Amino acid sequence: MNRPCNSMEPRVMDDDMLKLAVGDQGPQEEAGQLAKQEGILFKDVLSLQLDFRNILRIDNLWQFENLRKLQLDNNIIEKIEGLENLAHLVWLDLSFNNIETIEGLDTLVNLEDLSLFNNRISKIDSLDALVKLQVLSLGNNRIDNMMNIIYLRRFKCLRTLSLSRNPISEAEDYKMFICAYLPDLVYLDYRRIDDHTKELAEAKHQYSIDELKHRENLMQAQLEDEQARREELEKHKTAFVEHLNGSFLFDSMYAEDSEGNKLSYLPGVGELLETYKDKFVIICVNIFEYGLKQQEKRKTELDTFSECVHEAIQENQEQGKRKIAKFEEKHLSSLSAIREESELPNIEKMILECSADISELFDALMTLEMQLVEQLEETINMFERNIVDMVGVFIENVQSLMAQCRDLESHHHEKLLEISISTLEKIVEGDLDEDLPNDLRALFVDKDTIVNAVGASHDIHLLKIDNREDELVTRINSWCTRLVDKIHKDEIMRNRKRVKEINQYIDHMQSELDNLECGDILD
Amino acid sequence: MEVLREKVEEEEEAEREEAAERAEWARMEKMMRPVEVRKEETTLKQETLRDLEKKLSEIQITVSAELPAFTKDTIDISKLPVSYKTNTPKEEHLLQVADNFSRQYSHLCPDRVPLFLHPLNECEVPKFVSTTLRPTLMPYPELYNWDSCAQFVSDFLTMVPLPDPLKPTIKKEEKVLPKKYTIKPPRDLCSRFEQEQEVKKQQEIRAQEKKRLREEEERLMEAEKAKPDALHGLRVHSWVLVLSGKREVPENFFIDPFTGHSYSTQDEHFLGIESLWNHKNYWINMQDCWNCCKDLIFDLGDPVRWEYMLLGTDKSQLSLTEEDDSGINDEDDVENLGKEDEDKSFDMPHSWVEQIEISPEAFETRCPNGKKVIQYKRAKLEKWAPYLNSNGLVSRLTTYEDLECTNILEIKEWYQNREDMLELKHINKTTDLKTDYFKPGHPQALRVHSYKSMQPEMDRVIEFYETARVDGLIKREETPRTMTEYYQGRPDFLSYRHASFGPRVKKLTLSSAESNPRPIVKITERFFRNPAKPAEEDVAERVFLVAEEHIQLRYHCREDHITASKREFLRRTEVDSKGNKIIMTPDMCISFEVEPMEHTKKLLYQYEAMMNLKREEKLSRHQVWESELEVLEILKLREEEEAAHTLTISIYDTKRNEKSKEYREAMERVMHEEHLRQVETQLDYLAPFLAQLPPGEKLTRWQAVHLKDECLSDFKQRLINKANLIQARFEKETQELQKKQQWYQENQVTLTPEDEDLYLSYCSQAMFRIRILEQRLNRHKELAPLKYLALEEKLYKDPRLGELQKIFA
Repeated sequence: MNRPCNSMEPRVMDDDMLKLAVGDQGPQEEAGQLAKQEGILFKDVLSLQLDFRNILRIDNLWQFENLRKLQLDNNIIEKIEGLENLAHLVWLDLSFNNIETIEGLDTLVNLEDLSLFNNRISKIDSLDALVKLQVLSLGNNRIDNMMNIIYLRRFKCLRTLSLSRNPISEAEDYKMFICAYLPDLVYLDYRRIDDHTKELAEAKHQYSIDELKHRENLMQAQLEDEQARREELEKHKTAFVEHLNGSFLFDSMYAEDSEGNKLSYLPGVGELLETYKDKFVIICVNIFEYGLKQQEKRKTELDTFSECVHEAIQENQEQGKRKIAKFEEKHLSSLSAIREESELPNIEKMILECSADISELFDALMTLEMQLVEQLEETINMFERNIVDMVGVFIENVQSLMAQCRDLESHHHEKLLEISISTLEKIVEGDLDEDLPNDLRALFVDKDTIVNAVGASHDIHLLKIDNREDELVTRINSWCTRLVDKIHKDEIMRNRKRVKEINQYIDHMQSELDNLECGDILD
Repeated sequence: MEVLREKVEEEEEAEREEAAERAEWARMEKMMRPVEVRKEETTLKQETLRDLEKKLSEIQITVSAELPAFTKDTIDISKLPVSYKTNTPKEEHLLQVADNFSRQYSHLCPDRVPLFLHPLNECEVPKFVSTTLRPTLMPYPELYNWDSCAQFVSDFLTMVPLPDPLKPTIKKEEKVLPKKYTIKPPRDLCSRFEQEQEVKKQQEIRAQEKKRLREEEERLMEAEKAKPDALHGLRVHSWVLVLSGKREVPENFFIDPFTGHSYSTQDEHFLGIESLWNHKNYWINMQDCWNCCKDLIFDLGDPVRWEYMLLGTDKSQLSLTEEDDSGINDEDDVENLGKEDEDKSFDMPHSWVEQIEISPEAFETRCPNGKKVIQYKRAKLEKWAPYLNSNGLVSRLTTYEDLECTNILEIKEWYQNREDMLELKHINKTTDLKTDYFKPGHPQALRVHSYKSMQPEMDRVIEFYETARVDGLIKREETPRTMTEYYQGRPDFLSYRHASFGPRVKKLTLSSAESNPRPIVKITERFFRNPAKPAEEDVAERVFLVAEEHIQLRYHCREDHITASKREFLRRTEVDSKGNKIIMTPDMCISFEVEPMEHTKKLLYQYEAMMNLKREEKLSRHQVWESELEVLEILKLREEEEAAHTLTISIYDTKRNEKSKEYREAMERVMHEEHLRQVETQLDYLAPFLAQLPPGEKLTRWQAVHLKDECLSDFKQRLINKANLIQARFEKETQELQKKQQWYQENQVTLTPEDEDLYLSYCSQAMFRIRILEQRLNRHKELAPLKYLALEEKLYKDPRLGELQKIFA
């Protein structure tokens, strides 16, 4: 661009530049002295201003994790990059740069105010992640397609928009179009949109907007459907019986079974297959429903357990809190008594008393904690037993149902074999009435071939059933182990944390007392 | 003996009317068996009743020592309708039937009291009791249900004792049945109780209990001693029985007209029932009342239990099963009692009394003169009508320590329509604590204010309607040295602020107008958990030790923790060895963190936190100061309100609302004037002249012209007369003035100053009159031709003189 700064040498965003900026913009006066004394960590910085610095490339900003406001205006940046780490950013100013496309903003989910004024952007795009966007400034760019406005409909919080001095703002319909398509907008090009204009715009573009809304609603509904389906499947998966509420398993059995498919063209097999499928599906649905029921049961069991544990912990915490509150009351009064006491032997005696109190508190708290640990352990063990039992029963039942499936399959296999052999006999005798597909006829060469083919189909089916069963059993078992492990681990973590907390508190109390002692002795 | 209030019954009847098909109301009169009620007595009583009934709507009878006197005086018999003075043939017939019934009854049951059937009314005419009842529907919704209706009746009436409730015979009877008069000795009760105690408790406890019991007994005895009732069981009393069945009345009950309270039919205060009646029939109780009314069965269709006088009026209320049995079994009794065939078809005649009318004023006033005092054991209840007391006081309950009602324990005063929304004032005389309760709507959102004195900086508790306040203050407690405030629903989650003050420092140079606030020693503030902040950053309590320059912070406890972070700032400004000001040192902030964090260790963070707290402290101190000011303001406002005690008047209250009254009156005036104007414009000039001609005939042209001329000349004459009149008056006034002036000039020297003043005032008045007359004359002169022309025009257009137009046409 033909700006005066163009003549200057581009500068690199290095550590020195950042440090200088942070130092300049950090706390002032007394706080500034302190800051200088201690140094400021980049990750503590909340706002950073880097304007008029001839920066060509955004760089070295990854340390500013907590940055809320970043100003990079009036530089010569050509590409938005290096902002991935600034997830807390709320305010981003990139105006008066040389940016051509919007990009690299996908992690800035908290961004509310984005300024890209005076750049070279021609298309509004890649802003999907910015769900909280309220203010968007895109004036003085190269946006020339009105359809870009429709893209902005997805920002439900957008209230202020600036698009002046773009090619589209020349269009006579520009204002009306925006008002109509962005009805929630309050300010356009630094001016408040009055209600009258809004009404006019709405009336003008009503048809197209209605159409658009209809399309959007359809999309939304589709999305929701998809979501619901996914949730449903997820629910089934947690019950370990997904795809068992229909013929999915049966279909998968025949999916890779070329022989079986061929054989289905044999006379009589069609009906056989039909009844077989019906029976098979009924069993599958049984498994499915049983699975859901069991899942519900497991869930209630788990809920009851967690509720009880939570209650126990809460109760225990309350007791602990009460103990501490009581102690603190006493401790405070005795501390002030010590401060007021002037006789050294008395002080020592009182301090001794105090430390006795502290150790008493420690004992009490630890007793409480140990008590809780024991109680919880018992409960957890009981729960573990129950849940393992439940899982065992579930597996057993599913296995028996699966065995029924296998029986059905064997039955079907026998029938099929019978038909095949009789057909073979017929073919050998040459009195087969119907025409068979060629690939099927190829199987009827001799008895071994056909028996092998039927056997292969049967094997595949059995394998599929076995696989499904194995999958279910493994998954539920692993779920069970993981759950129990997690409960144990959580309990251990909780215990450690509590013990640590108690120790820390006691140490603090003790050190406070010691300090007092030292101070007194010094006095 | 207590006087029956017929009014009660009337009132109940009034209410009953729309309930007639629903609940069975029956009037009953009960006399204890030993009582011999004489005819005279009944009559007298009835007279009184009639009186009262007559007076019920407006006149409130005050307790009068001389009962018969007021009976005669207060009622103007001559103004009563004829039905009061005579009996219709049907009534006469009824009286005969009643006499017959009464004779047979006294023959069959000689032991029992003569029936109370047809007392004399205020006009000395015997009337059957049932005909004194007239169901009336009152226009007040409050009178629709029995409880509020009974309450109103009890308020509306004043009890007047009969002059001589005891007859010599009664005293004799008293001795016959002494049992009736003694109250069950409390000892019986106690000994039984003690026996129980014996079984249950150990000797020692029992002894203690005994002692306690004895004390209680003594107290009870003492209390009982106050009212040994010589007439127990002898009193005659009337009350109301409501039968179950209709209007969702689940069971029978009594209403006592004096208190308006309802009693179960099992209540032992009601010793027996002699007879009962409603506006349709009269029943005699044939059941034994040895166990008070407890065993009575109120199935009026059962002739064994209830002997009726008229047959066939209340069949619908009989219970069916009983009806059949009784119909057969008691045939004889019915015959014996002279239920003749003709009686069966005999209906109760219509009531002869006039409908009760209660004016809205009387209804609102409720009690006689709007005031009623009810004396209870160790308590006194006073009631006033709304707006009667200028401070809105409507009732006052005084509780006493002793039976003689001399030592006041506490006073409760209820107010209504107060502009300051004061509802109840509670004064505890023993602790001297006063508590005011307010309804929502006080300008300072006060709810409760309890105090011992109105001086500031004393013990007091003020509660507020926190939703009406911007700062969400619920309660402010004050003692001479502390002030505690409780908050709710604030955006900064403040829940509690406690400030303790030090003794006031005397400032010598202080000007009197400036306030000298007490120094604040300590401010404690507590906060609710702010869910938007993590617990270790959410302050739960902060203590500003102003004097020691300490600030203590305690944070909220995290959900899974039992200890909370703490931080203490020492707010000292020190100077280091080189003379530089120390901004912040690590030992100025002592903190305990449940989970130590890195950034809080930084001096900068601590410094900023401390600076923040310093600002907050300033704010809190300001808040405390403002609260003190507010208390002063509230106290001032309360004092003003107490002094002014303005009452609010509803805009719908047309009687009291002065503004609306004025407006309405103005509207009426305007309407009236409008009306007058209209009348004037409609004045017919032609009428007197047309009257001379034969009516109905069409006027000839000549007649019309003549009429017109006549009318116009008459009008002209009248205008001239008027002008002359004004002229004459004018001249007269002028002459008189001249005379007076002459007289004055002649006697000017001898006049006293008073005479001179008199003269001067006369002059100015006369001048005024003259001026007015002159103006009138001028105006008349101006208007007269116009008026004349207007009349001519009018006449010309008058359709009756249509002939005129023809001429010109």
